[in-house]
Amino acid sequence: MASIDIKAPGTSQLFIGNEAIARGALEAGIGFAAAYPGTPSSEILGSLAQVAKNVGIYAEWSINEIVAMEAAAGASYAGIRALAAMKQNGINVVSDFLSNLVMTGTGKAGLVLVSCDDPSAISSSNEQDTRPVAKWLDIPLVEPGDFQEAKDMTKWLFDLAEELGTVCMLRSVTRIAHARGNVKIGELPKKQFKARFEQIHDLKSVMPTTYIPMPSPFRHFLLHMKLDKARDKFESSSFNRYVGPDKADLLIVTSGSCWLYSQDAVDALNLRDKVGILKLGTLWPLPEKFIAQYLNKSDKVLFVEEIDPFIERSIMELAGNFPPDIKRPIFCGKRSGHLNAFGELNPDMVIKAVSSILGLAYQSRDSEYHKKAEALIKSNVPDRTMTFCAGCPHRATFWSIKNALKLDGREGFVTGDIGCYSMALGPAGFFQVRTMHCMGGGAGVANGLGKLGQFGFDQPIIAVVGDSTFYHATIPALINGIYNRSNFILVILDNGATAMTGFQPHPGTGMTAMGEPTQIVSMEALCRALGARVEVCDPFDLKSTTSTLLNIMAEDGGAKVAIMRRKCELVRAKQNKAPYKVHVDSNKCIGEACGCDRLCTRIFLCPGLVWDKTTGKSKIDEVICSGCGVCVDICPQGAIVREAA
Amino acid sequence: MAIIAKGCKELLSEVIEKGLCSLCGACTGSCPYLTYYNGRIALLDNCSRTDEAQCYEYCPRTFTDMNAISEKIFGKPYMEYEIGAVKQIIMARATDSTIIEKAQYGGAVTALLSLAISEGSLDGAILTGTSDDKTPIPFLAQSVADVLQCTGSNYMACPVLGSYNQLPNDSHSKLAIVAMPCQVSSIAKMKLEPPDNRVNVDNIKMVIGLFCTWALSPDRFHRFLKENIDLAKVRKFDIPPPPANRFDVYNAKGVTSFPLEQIRKFTMPACAYCIDMTSEFADISVGSVEGIDGWNTVIVRTDAGADLIDKAKKKGKLQIEKLPESNLQHLKEAALLKKRRALSEIVKRSGSRDNLLYLGLSVELAKKLLS
Repeated sequence: MASIDIKAPGTSQLFIGNEAIARGALEAGIGFAAAYPGTPSSEILGSLAQVAKNVGIYAEWSINEIVAMEAAAGASYAGIRALAAMKQNGINVVSDFLSNLVMTGTGKAGLVLVSCDDPSAISSSNEQDTRPVAKWLDIPLVEPGDFQEAKDMTKWLFDLAEELGTVCMLRSVTRIAHARGNVKIGELPKKQFKARFEQIHDLKSVMPTTYIPMPSPFRHFLLHMKLDKARDKFESSSFNRYVGPDKADLLIVTSGSCWLYSQDAVDALNLRDKVGILKLGTLWPLPEKFIAQYLNKSDKVLFVEEIDPFIERSIMELAGNFPPDIKRPIFCGKRSGHLNAFGELNPDMVIKAVSSILGLAYQSRDSEYHKKAEALIKSNVPDRTMTFCAGCPHRATFWSIKNALKLDGREGFVTGDIGCYSMALGPAGFFQVRTMHCMGGGAGVANGLGKLGQFGFDQPIIAVVGDSTFYHATIPALINGIYNRSNFILVILDNGATAMTGFQPHPGTGMTAMGEPTQIVSMEALCRALGARVEVCDPFDLKSTTSTLLNIMAEDGGAKVAIMRRKCELVRAKQNKAPYKVHVDSNKCIGEACGCDRLCTRIFLCPGLVWDKTTGKSKIDEVICSGCGVCVDICPQGAIVREAA
Repeated sequence: MAIIAKGCKELLSEVIEKGLCSLCGACTGSCPYLTYYNGRIALLDNCSRTDEAQCYEYCPRTFTDMNAISEKIFGKPYMEYEIGAVKQIIMARATDSTIIEKAQYGGAVTALLSLAISEGSLDGAILTGTSDDKTPIPFLAQSVADVLQCTGSNYMACPVLGSYNQLPNDSHSKLAIVAMPCQVSSIAKMKLEPPDNRVNVDNIKMVIGLFCTWALSPDRFHRFLKENIDLAKVRKFDIPPPPANRFDVYNAKGVTSFPLEQIRKFTMPACAYCIDMTSEFADISVGSVEGIDGWNTVIVRTDAGADLIDKAKKKGKLQIEKLPESNLQHLKEAALLKKRRALSEIVKRSGSRDNLLYLGLSVELAKKLLS
């Protein structure tokens, strides 16, 4: 598949949605891109960073989303078109800056924010819908309905952002971001970038150039004028269109990937001549006149959109302003219960909703289909729950955390965070994680718990956080814990990568997004400078890690830090050979008998170990085993053997 | 032996959480689930076994059939109600001055073990050692020098049996164990029903039981000591015989004494339910001699015990005297007192004279002791 900087205007290229967005940004002539990795948004900056040197732009993995957005705004102020990309959670991190940015306006160059939402939270902690953010921030919002639009809209959005002088937002969802389709590409501009923050120094005639949000009411008024201008443009945008009969039994109003589901549903029900589809690409501000002319096409309207009833409510607001003589259609959607206000939608759900509204007998698929499909797939799927990779340092770390907390005996527990290690809330991490919220949230919650001693609270608190998350959002919580003497241990799972999103570099890795070596910001030096007791452990050394944790736990006082340092197994495996060859001595393995009760395949649950029912012994799955050798140290019978590979 | 279908969960709920655990260590070291740490037994993960749980079976505070054990070890039912089966009861002390210098009382245990190891009838001994901060730790002595490192007592409970459980299954080392009455009782249970997936219990050739009225909590008492004295400088702990009523701590400069009343609150609550003062199922039981400094009371109970004592006597390793009659009477009274107190505590807890919790005594003996 082609790189996003391919020079073949007019040809079709197979891009995932995120690459299409990145290509659109390149065609728009961006010079600056910044992001924090987060599924499903990561490939936007990832693909831009790959070609950055080649096309002469700058791309960075920022420490977090707000810095990415602020940095992009900085570029805009100096006349460089800039893009910031993030997943839905990142929008919350950015929102404080955004609420001021909309007042100050952007610089001379267009500034675009991309938010990739994750309906059903397939790779997320929540399925927040970010479209309402555009509404409360008063910024133009668009949503592509396919890959071509993803590219075209992004390019067009830079022109709009530049013309309006305000940040514009493009919302995508997992099924656009990660699905792959043909995109007809355009020209890449030959651009000589010249960055300069232009200042007017003639104070007698005019104030110097400033980007400040005051006076706020005036700026707010100006912002509304920008929105009005955007609405005018959206009225004639080709990203909004109607396909269907002149007079329809039902009008579907939809956008994004739901447009595709709606088309499938109408086709499946063979209702092309009875049901019209109004597909919207510009979601805020809504093109009111454009929409009004189609609302008359039917007595019934069904809103098909994922998560929040954003379009549904906005259009109902519009309908409230209709002249009294205009008949209001019956509005169906989430409010009426025809579709869920949670989770992803699919064509089947839309078929159901349409059938129900039109009183059609909907032929659902074979009721046994689900069972049959499951049976068919099951034979090819290993029998195990979601777990860490074989050789993952997190498994070893949580093993020691579990044992240390049990040995300590005060019913201590773990406040969790966002990363692969979130899985520690289940069997992968021995059910150790008790709370999980946003990035940095675990340490924040620990701050409160660690100050409850005066109310009789004596349970040890371990806040776990990944290395990337540590830099992203945990440092203020740690400082708070040190300064306010909150009694908790911050365990940093330093696997040297932003592993869950695809091994992006972070300030602890010494490499930039564009592959340049850079100065490492040492987490232990940082924590020590803050005044915390800092211990660095090798999680594969279970005994010493457990004993270090017990030792720190026994100590009172403010927040303390234990760094679990081991490279992510997926990164290590790419760099060098497995350290050990591991096998089970079946003479020594006592399986389910008293004295073991198959600890390795019942509790430890590394996928590299399998239980052989026929022999009643454990064995190594040589394909999966990564040769880390940690299981050797948990086997109570010394039956697992490691030999240098 | 009763048919037991109970596991670690029951051990936790019936013994450990009920305050009946004496930290003998029998449930530790043999599986990955139960572990000793800082004065308590922790359950690290749930074991799903219910039909063959040795942790439950060998716990000295789960059902213990005294008659069956006595039959196994002494070839007769358990009808003793003071100091258990006796072949011979004597007063002894080590002849070796280095042993006497380090010994708690007469150094008999050290002398016996040193002899057996040096002449090769034993390969080692499972003992209680002392860490630098004076916490008791299980210790596998494999030489006379190792044995000498473990002289003296600090009166704190120590999960010594965990050390036996951790021996490699295929080990053939002939071992002695120096144990408290609860531990001796656990080993007796193992002798009755030998454990699976552990080293052969017959490898324990010699069980030397110590006299015990109660043990101190290695967690709470150790914390108390740490707060009051410099543990690194301690040379010896001692509870001199009545009427002293003191707990003495010796260092290079002299003695720090604590009133026994102050110490008593740190005893293991489990000890209140123990009827055994003299380690009745041991081969040899050893304690102090009231009123006679520098000597041990030695109860020889089995042929193996008698052989070792004879050898020590012949080789001049032990000086042996008759135990004065008044001392024997005193010992019996004290042992009976412990039995009666424990039984009354057991009945108080169970709520019925017919329910002796873990204790499997014959009806007649129970009646006699409870009268």
